[in-house]
Amino acid sequence: MYGPSILNENTRIVVIGATGREASQVVRESEALFPGLILAGVTPGKGGVTIEPEVPIFNTIKEAQAAHSALNLALIYVPPASVKDAVLEAIDAGLKTVFVITEHTPIRDAASIYRAASEAGVKVVGGTSLGCFVPGVGRIGAIGGKDPSGALGEGNVVVISKSGGLTVTTAEMLKRRGHGVYFAMGMGGDVIAGTTYGDMMEELEADPNCSALVMLGEVGGTYEEQAAEMVAAGKFTKPLAAFVGGEFQEDQEGVAFGHAGAVVERGKGKASDKKRLLAAAGSNVRVARYYHNLVDCIEELGVKPNLADSVASQVPPKYSTI
Amino acid sequence: MNLYEHEAVGNIYTRYKIPHAKYVVATEPNEEVAQFVRDHGGAVVKAMVLVGKRGKAGAVKLVNTEAEAAQAVTDIMAMQVWGETPVAVMVCEKADIEAELYCSITYSTETRSPVITLSMQGGMDVEEIPEDRITNFPVAAGPAVEPYQIRDMLVAIGFTEKYGSILRQASLVIAQVYAAFWGSESRMIEINPLAIVRVQKKDRKSGEMVTALTLRALDAVISLDDDASVAPQKKYGERSAYTREQTRREIDALLIDRDDHRGKAGSYVEPEDLGGDIGMMTFGGGGSAVTIETCYDVGLRPANFTDIGGNPPAEKMYAISRIILSKPGLKGILVCGGTASNTRIDVTLGEGLVNAIDDMAKEGSLDTSLIWVVRRGGPEVEKGLRLLHECFVRNNIAAVIYDSELPITEAPLILRDLLVKHRDYQVAGQQAQA
Repeated sequence: MYGPSILNENTRIVVIGATGREASQVVRESEALFPGLILAGVTPGKGGVTIEPEVPIFNTIKEAQAAHSALNLALIYVPPASVKDAVLEAIDAGLKTVFVITEHTPIRDAASIYRAASEAGVKVVGGTSLGCFVPGVGRIGAIGGKDPSGALGEGNVVVISKSGGLTVTTAEMLKRRGHGVYFAMGMGGDVIAGTTYGDMMEELEADPNCSALVMLGEVGGTYEEQAAEMVAAGKFTKPLAAFVGGEFQEDQEGVAFGHAGAVVERGKGKASDKKRLLAAAGSNVRVARYYHNLVDCIEELGVKPNLADSVASQVPPKYSTI
Repeated sequence: MNLYEHEAVGNIYTRYKIPHAKYVVATEPNEEVAQFVRDHGGAVVKAMVLVGKRGKAGAVKLVNTEAEAAQAVTDIMAMQVWGETPVAVMVCEKADIEAELYCSITYSTETRSPVITLSMQGGMDVEEIPEDRITNFPVAAGPAVEPYQIRDMLVAIGFTEKYGSILRQASLVIAQVYAAFWGSESRMIEINPLAIVRVQKKDRKSGEMVTALTLRALDAVISLDDDASVAPQKKYGERSAYTREQTRREIDALLIDRDDHRGKAGSYVEPEDLGGDIGMMTFGGGGSAVTIETCYDVGLRPANFTDIGGNPPAEKMYAISRIILSKPGLKGILVCGGTASNTRIDVTLGEGLVNAIDDMAKEGSLDTSLIWVVRRGGPEVEKGLRLLHECFVRNNIAAVIYDSELPITEAPLILRDLLVKHRDYQVAGQQAQA
């Protein structure tokens, strides 16, 4: 079975909220790329409709399962206030993986979702996930647009990013320097994330298809610190290149409104804290000063390109009037 | 959204029956304040601001007489509290404090659950409480924590060494604080101090007045979830992150997305000090953040922050382009985004931005001395960048355009070097000496 647990040859998708504008476009595009990956959609009240060319819509996940017993992943596109309901429905139906693409899930619902998923042994990715792309295997969500292979080459580097946009941007920067990806995943930047770097690292350590991890972090929370702790504990020994955004905000803070966050996460959460802890975690880690140094970082760690390097040392402009 | 203390007490403490001091709210001295001070033999007058450390700023005053109260109200209303003007004052009953606890509830990314934080050493700045005297108790996400669970926590922090007689009452109060945290969809509730106060009450047996201990929340710092199922703005109105007033351009930008949900182009904020000389037209949350960060790092001074995304139509892009280009004092423009999955480059840059430049040139409001650096990838990028280049040519604009071959964060470096070379740009900060 090729591919990570969250998206592999066995993955069969039901799209929740499938008849919405963004979701139906993603369904059409994904089916053109990987026919047969999405088996069904669910929109309560729209059972019986079909999204062209041939994805049938059901009222409930259980109805969809009755017609398609292979379903094992729910892709959530419902409005923020309905996310909890949709994820709990998927968990209750026994689906093992859930991607939440929806942005702005209430934090209270995100905490409830994480609790329910942990208790049921379900992996929830997101909210605010861009999705996941495994070259040659499949695509979840809109990652890479109509033609993901334009920006994401096939190879062995794993990209995990809080920022959706930087997921693809980073994969493309890697590809242009000759590094293909095993997969790229937007984990989302919500405070309560269903799946973090740390949640994936154990699996990546054991997966021979992963040669290195590129981690795009952001200020806030402690998920980057947790990744650093896993490296320090020897649980992740593969090359890890990280960039953490948001350091510039540190100089701009005034007198804080409340301090509860600072107490709960003492000495953590700032971009500079994260960078320091990651850099000190192990000799298999490099932290990029500038975002564009990420590729140099993985190469310093001994990762060899598997594709052609198409970038000139001095990139010429496409157009210039200077 | 952060709430003022009087909003938190008036709406949330009251609703969830969290005991607090009696109070009135005022913006000037008046008869209600005078009556309150007469009834309670004095008061504490507190500035209603969103910054912390009010006491250190002199914005909390103890008064004993009506005249002192009137003076305190007038003084505090005229004050700047760490740069913030008070919106009101709270005139509160004085408390006879026996001890001060620290109590907060927020979400922890360590446990991905709510966490209750308690200390017997409240009252002081929480950062100053020694680490071994403050304890985090993770709790399972859900609408309630049972009082017995709180009692276990209180025993663990040493509450019962002196105050066992009010253990049950304290556990009920803190369980209510949790109910308020969950029910009001807060991201954080912080009560510092949650005070143990002495009150006079009639003894049930003897009928005589005796001193008893009780709990009282003497402050309220509440931050509501901006993504709550009911948007906090509906109840509390819009609230700027800054203490200064919004600029015309910021207000105009807000209107872009208000009645049109296709994509997002209306996030436009200027730096707190309104300075800066680089117009930033940046796309996507993460892409915008790394670009701005790199600008500061290489000594450029951004004049605004934007985060455009979700495939906005050309009209929206036209509107935000005009706003970005209209700020006085600009020297360069950075149009910078990663590789879009969804946003059409021919529509946003090739149509929206191009029309804005052409129209401003026609009106004579376009500054053609600016240097532009463009870096963008995504759907229809070739067409979009070509149309933009043709626009630069016909309007005599000095610009270089890159696609996604150029790593996104090299774009600010290129703009800096061009500005230094052609416009004698003074690079900010340490970079100037380097």
